[in-house]
Amino acid sequence: MRGIYNYMIATIVGVLAMTTPITSHAADATTTAAACWQEGIKAYENRQYGEAVEAFEKIVALGEASSEVYYNLANAYFKLGQSNNTTSRPFASGELGKAILNYHRAIKYNPAMADARYNLELAVDYTNDTESIPQSFITTLWHGLRNMTTSNGWAVTSLVMLAMTLILVMMYLLSANIILRKVGFFAAIVVAICFVIVSALAISSRRALINDNRAVVVCNDTTPVHASPDSASKIVRQPSQGVTIRISRSHGEWTEIIFADGEMGWIRESMIEKI
Amino acid sequence: MCVWRMVRHTTFSLADNDYNKNALRGVTEVSEMVEEGYNMRQLAKLSLILIMLASAVSSWAQTAFTVDAPAITALGQPFRVEFTIDAEPDANSLEAPAFEGFDIIAGPSVSTGHSIQFINGKQTTSYSRTYTYVLMPNVAGKYTIGAASIKVEGKKYSTQPQAIEVIAEKSNAAERTTNSGRKNPESQIGKDDILLRLKISDTELYKGESLRASLVLYTRANIDNLEDLSLPSFDGFWSQELSFDNTPSREEYNGRIYETYKITELLLSPQQSGAITIPSATLTAIARVVVQDNRFDPFFGGGQVYRVPRTLKSDPVTIRVKEFPAGAPATFNGAVGRFKLSSVMPSPEIKSNSADQIEVTISGNGNLKFISAPTISLPESFEQYDTKIVDNIKVSAMDTSGSITYTYPFVARSAGEFTIEPLRFSYFDPTTGEYNTLATEPFTIKVLDDGTSANTTAVERYTNYGSTMRQLDRDIRFIHIGKMPQRSASLFMFTPIYWLIVVVIIAIFIVVYVLLNKRIRDNRNIVARRMKHADKVAIQRLRTAEHYMNDGNRHAFYEELLRALWGYISDKFNIPVSNLTKERIREELYRRNVSSALAEEFCEIISSSEEAQYSPSSEGEMSEAYTRAIDVMTKIEGAIKR
Repeated sequence: MRGIYNYMIATIVGVLAMTTPITSHAADATTTAAACWQEGIKAYENRQYGEAVEAFEKIVALGEASSEVYYNLANAYFKLGQSNNTTSRPFASGELGKAILNYHRAIKYNPAMADARYNLELAVDYTNDTESIPQSFITTLWHGLRNMTTSNGWAVTSLVMLAMTLILVMMYLLSANIILRKVGFFAAIVVAICFVIVSALAISSRRALINDNRAVVVCNDTTPVHASPDSASKIVRQPSQGVTIRISRSHGEWTEIIFADGEMGWIRESMIEKI
Repeated sequence: MCVWRMVRHTTFSLADNDYNKNALRGVTEVSEMVEEGYNMRQLAKLSLILIMLASAVSSWAQTAFTVDAPAITALGQPFRVEFTIDAEPDANSLEAPAFEGFDIIAGPSVSTGHSIQFINGKQTTSYSRTYTYVLMPNVAGKYTIGAASIKVEGKKYSTQPQAIEVIAEKSNAAERTTNSGRKNPESQIGKDDILLRLKISDTELYKGESLRASLVLYTRANIDNLEDLSLPSFDGFWSQELSFDNTPSREEYNGRIYETYKITELLLSPQQSGAITIPSATLTAIARVVVQDNRFDPFFGGGQVYRVPRTLKSDPVTIRVKEFPAGAPATFNGAVGRFKLSSVMPSPEIKSNSADQIEVTISGNGNLKFISAPTISLPESFEQYDTKIVDNIKVSAMDTSGSITYTYPFVARSAGEFTIEPLRFSYFDPTTGEYNTLATEPFTIKVLDDGTSANTTAVERYTNYGSTMRQLDRDIRFIHIGKMPQRSASLFMFTPIYWLIVVVIIAIFIVVYVLLNKRIRDNRNIVARRMKHADKVAIQRLRTAEHYMNDGNRHAFYEELLRALWGYISDKFNIPVSNLTKERIREELYRRNVSSALAEEFCEIISSSEEAQYSPSSEGEMSEAYTRAIDVMTKIEGAIKR
């Protein structure tokens, strides 16, 4: 049922997107990306994770990425890091950081992607990430609700709600039957409240997407986080690859970051990548 | 201690008188040794043997002709070469080799030994004849004493050629002169005359490998006794004492020849990496020094014997223990050496609930004692029991070798075909510096149903397999496959298109509303007016009815009266006349709190009017119906308004 609904939303949004003119160049990119997609899947199935990473990265470079592409790319990175037998240590070339980064991206573009959430949780176990500050029940509930679908899904839902509200108002106004009028009146109120909530969710989801200041540590090994933007200053923490942080501000090649538990520090910009 | 080696020669007859002057110094040396041998107890033994000699008749099962000569000797020092035959040789059949590079200063002297032993009633006899040469090396270098041959009952026996190294000892002559010149027994023994050394077979090795450490006493003096041995602590090592051959030997050390005695020998296996230092071992050796007295000839026991204690300390030894190289396989568990893996699998078909076992044997050389049992992964429904370990490990001077057998017993609980995963065992080979992994063959086992599994109750199953399915391992979920999904749509919320749709929805609503508004309003007005004017319409109709009544038109009167009554309810309650029944009227009136009596009366008027419409009746009835209808409607109007 949800699948059908999601498909409908995708179709509506897709049809809306169709109104923007598609150039022949964009069509080419789509074809190439589709070839890369099949190539990546095949490579992954044959355990050639290096090739799979390359193929999926190419789709991202072509600008044809979807949450599924990010998810597959993350999986390929994770498996590549695990299967790398040339060195004794897994994830020797920062594959874990890349995997977590791409799981985050997949979830960012489709918050309802359960597979990506499961795999992310598993991958995070390999990092030395700290426990995040526990959030209030209301916030958790709100985020849980918001992550049920994408921002676009909420936007389309809000439009549907708006139309329904107006239809019910009309029913109330037009119907001569007292029962229909009553039903129309109360249903209109309920649907109107739903419309407000859904619109708020759509706005919140949109804001989370636009104002996303999260980043993932991508490095080969643990990297120092200094107390100030100066390599001579004290090292406050040493996050491993794959630790998720928030970016506060920048200063030259240094970036101030906030850890999940609220601790702050400065890290070299090259060591992190924005989600 | 060095003395008893010579005791086994029964006689010492210096047969030939061909000493030359060069050899004189050597002879003194020999006589010293002889003197040692003439100790009372030994003499008693010798005489006993000599008595027995007479009755000795024996035949030899095997005859051996051997040579005994030191492997190393110093230049200018005479030494002895002995050829021993353990059977009576034919007379004058000895063919001695040419002692090239040496001067024969004595010999061959012949000694014969014969012994008869009775042990638990068994008689054993032994015979030996020894030909002894005393040789003097001339030039330093490596020499070979050729094979000597002898005939026993016509049969020829030969010795093996023997290599001898002659070295020029340092400060040999100087020491000799000081020795003879001094009377102080302490000074008779030089600083380097007695040494204690800890000899290590390997100073650089991997963790888990083993090395041999032997504590050796080097001496140039005669040692009487050893006291207060304290072995160093072998911290960081696993150590095991070895049985060793305690025959003394000669060895060159720092350009001098020493008699060496092994005191102890250990097999050490480092348990940590890095440089490990073995501290000194200490030992007190008591040397026997003979100080010659001029008054007596030394040959006849002249001179005083002193016991000189000397505390010895070995040098500490540092051993570098290497860490294993990177890239150890996951199954590596610290096994070092060279191993082989063999397995005995259970029968390929077993019945469920019956026990069987898997036997795995690891054999080879290495730190077998420190190998932990390799883990075996059996299918879920197999109940595994404690692993039985049987080891057969021999610790030799070289290393530890042998085998360990691990037995994994199990009971197969459910029927089916199962694959037993290969059991893997990894070890580090220090000779190649590489890790090796051994694995057993994968094995398929068929478990046949023994018929009881159907009868097992839920409780039994519960206890057998655990309450729920166990999570064995976790891994990331599989990638998404199928058609390439559409590129992530750009944000839709608050885009112009979004606003456009909002505007369109609202516009449609407004247009529809405006179009229908008029009808809605009209509809509402009609209803209100009709409700408001229900009584007026009714009154108008009643007037028409009254008019008919006065005309005496009975049918028309009742028709109009009924229309007034039905119409009143229809207008009042906004119900079409076609939908009205008497029941419905009662219901509607009741809902509006009109008393049931009044409603009943209203219905009764309708019923009587409907009857009267087609039946003959008087004028009075018409006027009565008329007044009643007005009365009831007034009352209803009053009741509703209230």
